[in-house]
Amino acid sequence: MSEILLRNLSKSYSGTEGDHAAVSEVSLTIVSGEFVTLLGPSGCGKTTTLRLIAGYLVPDAGEIRVAGRLLSSPKSVVPPESRGMGMVFQNYAVWPHKTVFENVAFGLMLRNVSKTEARERVGRVLELVNLAGLDSRYPSELSGGQQQRVALARSLVVEPAVLLLDEPLSNLDAKLRERMRAELKTLQRRTGITFIYVTHDQSEALALSDHIAVMHAGRLQQYGTPREVYCEPANHIVADFMGLVNLLPARLVEVTGTASVFESGQVRMTIPRPSGMQVGARADLSIRPETIRLAASEADLPGAFPARVLEQTYLGNLNEYVIAAGETQLRVQADAQAFFSVGSEVFALIDAQQCRAFASADTDTP
Amino acid sequence: MIHTTPRAWPGRAWFNVENCVSGAAVVALIVLVVLPLISLVWGSLWTGHGIGIANFSEVLSQRLYFDALFNSLTLGAWTALLSIVIGVPLAWAVIRTDLPGRQFVKLTATLSYLSPPFLVAIAYVNLFSPRAGVINAFLRHATGTSLFTFNIFSMPGLVLVTVLHTFPFVYLLTSSALSSVDASYEESAQILGAGKLRTLWSVTFPLVAPAILSGALIGFVNAIALFGSQAIIGLPARIFTLPTRIYALFDYPPEYGLASALSLVFVAITVLALYFQRSYLARRSYVTLAGKGARPQRLSLGALRWPLFTFCVLIFVIAVFLPYASLLAVSFSKSWGLDFWKNLTLKNYHFILFEYDVTRRAILNSLLLATLAATFCVIVGTAIGWIDLRTRFIGRKFVDYVSLIPLGLPGIVMAAALIQFWLRLPLHLYGTLAILFLAYAARYLPLGVRSANAAMRQIDPSLEESARILGASWSRTAREITLPLMRSGLFAGWILIFVPAIQELSASILLFSSNSMTLAVAVYNLYENGYIEPVAALALINAAIIGIAIFLANKVGGGDTRFESTSN
Repeated sequence: MSEILLRNLSKSYSGTEGDHAAVSEVSLTIVSGEFVTLLGPSGCGKTTTLRLIAGYLVPDAGEIRVAGRLLSSPKSVVPPESRGMGMVFQNYAVWPHKTVFENVAFGLMLRNVSKTEARERVGRVLELVNLAGLDSRYPSELSGGQQQRVALARSLVVEPAVLLLDEPLSNLDAKLRERMRAELKTLQRRTGITFIYVTHDQSEALALSDHIAVMHAGRLQQYGTPREVYCEPANHIVADFMGLVNLLPARLVEVTGTASVFESGQVRMTIPRPSGMQVGARADLSIRPETIRLAASEADLPGAFPARVLEQTYLGNLNEYVIAAGETQLRVQADAQAFFSVGSEVFALIDAQQCRAFASADTDTP
Repeated sequence: MIHTTPRAWPGRAWFNVENCVSGAAVVALIVLVVLPLISLVWGSLWTGHGIGIANFSEVLSQRLYFDALFNSLTLGAWTALLSIVIGVPLAWAVIRTDLPGRQFVKLTATLSYLSPPFLVAIAYVNLFSPRAGVINAFLRHATGTSLFTFNIFSMPGLVLVTVLHTFPFVYLLTSSALSSVDASYEESAQILGAGKLRTLWSVTFPLVAPAILSGALIGFVNAIALFGSQAIIGLPARIFTLPTRIYALFDYPPEYGLASALSLVFVAITVLALYFQRSYLARRSYVTLAGKGARPQRLSLGALRWPLFTFCVLIFVIAVFLPYASLLAVSFSKSWGLDFWKNLTLKNYHFILFEYDVTRRAILNSLLLATLAATFCVIVGTAIGWIDLRTRFIGRKFVDYVSLIPLGLPGIVMAAALIQFWLRLPLHLYGTLAILFLAYAARYLPLGVRSANAAMRQIDPSLEESARILGASWSRTAREITLPLMRSGLFAGWILIFVPAIQELSASILLFSSNSMTLAVAVYNLYENGYIEPVAALALINAAIIGIAIFLANKVGGGDTRFESTSN
């Protein structure tokens, strides 16, 4: 099958203040038939990576191979039209001067597919994306969601080995986005096409992907399953990007065997340490707000430390608190029933099993 | 499933359709603009036996040329000022007030812009020449003295005729700026306690001031480049301007060196004005920020309503009604000045359309030239737009800049440059339709480039990219996606070129021969020889052709004919 291999891929753009590296030394192996997401904030290089894979850009260094064949290197790039890929753009890019049928059939015409076969295949793919019967409409007569489906159908009808999707859902409203998300996942399972999906929305990435590539500042930070990148982030950047997190500056104070104890103000926790970390070294602890439990008395939570409630926000399905233990402030998500008023004393317990410690990155701490 | 065999791209296969098309456009640009311009510079520096600045020092020291320069600047300055005086109130009235008949004011500006300036000049000569002008004759008859007559053959006359063509520039830029100033700016001032007039004065006008000034500068550049009106009005009054002085230098024996030097002085003024216009507008354009969603505030005029309306009607009468009514009257009379109703005839139309083969040929030549030039400019403009917006060629911005150079070259300068360039070559183009075509193509290329550029900017690159990734080649993508999407913009650009090209005079006047006579030159020559009745008929046919072209454009192209900063 056609495995996609990115090796040491780099690309920079020349700007007014010198060159700006959009992607640097990204290496990645994408297994055929998977749903893979490139995730990161805007400007992290995810779209550039996607456009490099599509062949719209020439890399400055590194190479891209699909099924062992060299497609991109600084010396030569197989043009997009010869890569057999499909791409769905953020703004749909449905041609406004062609009907739905003409849009979808375009790729088939290029492949000299006979009229009758084209009609049949277009019909089938339109059914697949729930657009049956809209063949003769023009894009201006369709809703945003329908246009997005046309774009999908147009890419799918030529049966590409790889489908690239550049934030395809970001222009849709929240409800529709949810529904299209589910449909995309089913579609990928049913067709078995490799999906490479770019998004800045971590919940979208978690929901859809087999593997997520978290990118930041042009570099690949972590490549793993949704569970891995959420629960075992490779560094504080990934931890910070994957949902809400408390990042506490801490110090490694004690090592006994494999167990290591970190201290941050009044909070002491036993967390596996990064390899090679010495006693006394500074570290960042990542603590998810939902891993902290609160109680009114210590008896309810043995081992808890005392803290005071600074802020309280009711969010419907949960209560969010900011608590302070000495100098240390923590964001906590507790269930909607547990109510503590601002200023009250509480006891907090952190589930150390779900926390991570990283070597301190003072300069980079957000 | 990869369906086709890989092909190296880009950087490897230089010989492909995209590079051929781009290359051809660059070659066209060099032949049309760069080489003639180099010839002009060379010609200005060549003193007969070497290189030097003798031509420039003569041009800048002799009274003859200095006067021309001074007159051109005087004309330009007054025209720019009066364009503001007329254009700004009209724009404000149309966009920001409840003035009755706002559509009619818009129409006045449009018609004034479209009227060939030499036609208006001829019409005003018929009305205000010192002795035979009908209005002057009427005033003399009615008052018994010649105190109240107006001599059109004077600087005020020249300014009057010119400003009727240039005020629409101020009007258009100001009205588009005014309509993009969001009401919230003015409402903020009002809520703080500023009255309507205070708001107008301290918020609205400062916001649109860059647009007003920009329009005035474009008006200035256009005003000083108009050969026709300056020859028709200026020469009888012995007021020489830069275009007419350069024209005179081509009389036998032609003084190429002096003509080139004077041309370059002319170019310097034009370029300076355009530079100010661009940088000023770019630096201080606040209004573009508001964008499309702007909701302009309309003022109730109250008692001011009728004075302002009268002003608008007056502009209509001066700019549109008087010229066309007089031309219409003259074209149907046997001899202008005699009793009108007893002298009605159609023989003038018969003469120019059927009897006189020069005018018949001129009409056909102009139709042919305008069609060819418009088509050519749109095609080359599209290729240059492509190079600028869709390729990564080094120097693509430079190509775009070079293609805009003709904006800074007045028509007569373009002709002077072409003459010198093509005379050096063994090809005998002088006096043929070919050299006229080259002149028109070069002059109107910026309009083609801009239209294509604007049309291409509307197309998101992803529309083309999605065709590429589906397997379409460059030329297939251009044919199926890019060009169809640009069609209406390109069509508008075509009309934008066709209209001024059909009545081009400034360059044609130096390049024509009896075989390659054009419409505007025929009008000018007939006028020079005193055939004022057939001239009026021909001028109206000229206007009719433009009218038909714009009518068809609105029918076919969806009516998107915007004005641009070039005319004859």
